[in-house]
Amino acid sequence: MSDLDGAVELLRQCRPIPELQVREICFKAREILIEEANVQIVDAPVTICGDIHGQFHDLMELFKVGGDCPDTNYLFMGDFVDRGFYSLESFLLLLCLKVRFPDRITLIRGNHESRQITTVYGFYDECIRKYGSANVWRYCCDVFDYLALGALVIGAGTSVQPTRSADGDDIETRVREAEDEVEIEVIGLGGVVTRQMLRREAGMINSTNLTPSALPHLSSSGPAGPLLTGIPGTGASGNSRGIATPNNAPANTGGAVLCVHGGLSPLIDSVDKIRLLDRKQEVPHDGAMCDLLWSDPEEIDGWGLSPRGAGFLFGADIVKQFNHLNNLTLIARAHQLVMEGFKEMFDSSIVTVWSAPNYCYRCGNVAAILELGEDNSNAVLRSGGEEVLFNRENTRRLASTYMGGSMKRGGPGRRYRVFEAAAQDSRGMPSKKPMPYYFL
Amino acid sequence: MRSSLYKYEKLRCPAVVITTSTQIRPNCDPLSRNIEVATLHLSLHTPAPRHRTTSHVFLDEIATMSALGRDFFKAKLAKLPAMPPPPLGALPEELDELDIDDDDPPDAYGHGDIDDEHPDPPLDDSSSASSASSTSTIIAPPPMARPELTARRRNNLEPIPWTHHFSENLHLTPSSNPSSHFNAYYTPSSASGPLFVTHHGAGSSGLSFAVLASEIRKILPDAGIFSFDARGHGGTHTENDQDFRLSTLSDDLYDALTAAQEQLRWETLPHIVLVGHSLGGAVVTDVAKRGLLGDKLLAYAVLDVVEGSAMDALQSMQSYLMTRPVGFASVNQGIEWHVRSRTIRNGRSARVSVPALLYDYASGGDASVTSSRPWQWRTDLGKTQPFWQDWFIGLSRKFLEAKGGKLLILAGTDRLDKELIIGQMQGKYQLLVLPEVGHFVHEDAPEKTAVALVEFYKRNDRSTLVLPKKVWEM
Repeated sequence: MSDLDGAVELLRQCRPIPELQVREICFKAREILIEEANVQIVDAPVTICGDIHGQFHDLMELFKVGGDCPDTNYLFMGDFVDRGFYSLESFLLLLCLKVRFPDRITLIRGNHESRQITTVYGFYDECIRKYGSANVWRYCCDVFDYLALGALVIGAGTSVQPTRSADGDDIETRVREAEDEVEIEVIGLGGVVTRQMLRREAGMINSTNLTPSALPHLSSSGPAGPLLTGIPGTGASGNSRGIATPNNAPANTGGAVLCVHGGLSPLIDSVDKIRLLDRKQEVPHDGAMCDLLWSDPEEIDGWGLSPRGAGFLFGADIVKQFNHLNNLTLIARAHQLVMEGFKEMFDSSIVTVWSAPNYCYRCGNVAAILELGEDNSNAVLRSGGEEVLFNRENTRRLASTYMGGSMKRGGPGRRYRVFEAAAQDSRGMPSKKPMPYYFL
Repeated sequence: MRSSLYKYEKLRCPAVVITTSTQIRPNCDPLSRNIEVATLHLSLHTPAPRHRTTSHVFLDEIATMSALGRDFFKAKLAKLPAMPPPPLGALPEELDELDIDDDDPPDAYGHGDIDDEHPDPPLDDSSSASSASSTSTIIAPPPMARPELTARRRNNLEPIPWTHHFSENLHLTPSSNPSSHFNAYYTPSSASGPLFVTHHGAGSSGLSFAVLASEIRKILPDAGIFSFDARGHGGTHTENDQDFRLSTLSDDLYDALTAAQEQLRWETLPHIVLVGHSLGGAVVTDVAKRGLLGDKLLAYAVLDVVEGSAMDALQSMQSYLMTRPVGFASVNQGIEWHVRSRTIRNGRSARVSVPALLYDYASGGDASVTSSRPWQWRTDLGKTQPFWQDWFIGLSRKFLEAKGGKLLILAGTDRLDKELIIGQMQGKYQLLVLPEVGHFVHEDAPEKTAVALVEFYKRNDRSTLVLPKKVWEM
């Protein structure tokens, strides 16, 4: 398909491609996807992304922040379409990239990748509007049926290489002094390191639900001082007790990370059971496949009723047991809007990643992507952009460490990059929906 | 007869069923007099559900169908979609003729049944027990079906009485509030069934839920329905029919229910699913948020109202109200206007719900009323304007915060406000958008609404709730 690059080029400009070409690309994509497993194996390093929902310009922002494809290895956890105004361009771009670089981008299915949902929430109407017929919608829906249900990231490292700050007096140095690893790094808006958490013997994160509470745009106070909940390089203070570093840890792996759009199912107690499902169908109204795409973690014991009307709620005990039985260190999922872009729950055994900033162009949330580094490389491989990010003029860094406890926590090193919606003027917003005329 | 029935089922061919029924009701209020009509009830009936066919009377004339009749049915059959058509999202169908007997709006998935304009099979005879105590209760006689044949079916605008959809008409006077007299339509639930308690929107009436009530009981025969007229509407009279404050309206819902409890001698309130349309959505949400029904409230459903878009729409509401006719020459004309203007897109529902919206002011001795159009709006919506903001402000927050299962059904498009978008994407409630229906969702698409409500009830039914075992228990 010689004009694939041409299609990518058009789509990058947010312009639709001819119907015949859509058909061809969808056909090709299906050939690739049919070979993939229900749970696709993905090697770290990889950048994990949550819901996109047709917010094309924000997807471009995501690529700006996370690096371009194929330079960065991407995993998108579904919900590419609906609600936003450019579902078509967003999904087709991702699909073209999949066809062009099948090993550098993984797409898994979200609950919106369904005929029934897309007829109600915008994608169907958008296809009719842009092509005058439902053909393109049909081609895309046929592709949806072939998308994988999940992915297993293997070979992730236990730490991320600390991002350096511009002033040279960087955290990395202090961390090295402390012989500590950075387990979690949060890069806030404008590429500013807002938080680093060291892997300690500690274990206990003082909050079970980590969210980036100290994003620069949320705290107007200039100096970083008050936000330092721990002293950078705490190791120097004598609390560190010889934590394993990449150099002396023989089995330096962050373990496997299961990625799925929604969450767990009471019918699924092992990753292997996901592999047994027949996924090539419309998303059912119940059952294991439905649950994987619809369920949510919640602060409950065991299973609960999902207010969504599909899927279940599941508690910390379920997640921890599942991770233990399946030798997972983390479940990454999307599906729920998180105002801060990401949210770790249940002692970091599960994380929600949300990648649609200012959702529906009015929710006012930021978005995030999750980078998992490569085992032992101690670095997240990216090309380009990094120096730019490091050298932002107003770079501040806030580091926080957590101390206490005596058990080393597992889990891969995780870098969250938080980003905002693309500038308003960069997107042509269609006019507002007509007002309903009667409402009493 | 039986073999011919079988033949029709095989052919999936509609049959004409004609029933006539006459109900005499005491003259308790002018409204009910309107409904005291002998009804010629023409219907197009597809005999799909086997268990129902026995309750219908089929005519020998139909069985030995004339060539003319066959042609008619063939033509009708040809109009039915052979395959599920694609969703019609962007292509609203023109209503080029008034085809009242095509009950439902175009169905996105093509499985809309043209079934049952025909009255339902006789309701459970449980009414005798529950109503024995109440002197002011009217029991619906079992629908009579007297055969008569005609192929005419178009433009039937005759009103349909409440008796086709409810078993009782209650006149409730709460002991705590003796000056209020609530008019309610009621079909009791069987022992373990839930009670769906509905609240209509401004300017509507309890009969707005009549067809929905029948549809719910078709799927869930154990369910009861309690649909009352809010103050200033239908047959309800209170000491101040102009007091439309939200808190008053939600108190009224509670008062009407407790009055029903006294009058019908319920030991406790049954398990309740609240269903509110438009203003009624704001009322049931307020009742849920205030916890008036305690743990008897299983869940609440709101039909086609969202705070953000309602507040936006309020500005244009007065000008919309100006476009409505002042009055009608007859009830039938009122029904016709509702269907033609697509205010209610289902003739079958309009015929039962619209009569309660109109009042013959000429017969009330009001000289100012033009005698040519004596049937005027029972509720002057313009006068409710001072309360509009009060109804909707804080609705989204309350909807998300109140205890109980939450379902929001919207008509046509997804028009959530910011709070509800966030709530939806965090999985706080269930959202259902029904394509190709108007604001009166439950009247336009009673079957789909009923399916959604019953499903919703089942999910939230605590008595049978069995959550999956934990993984390690399996």
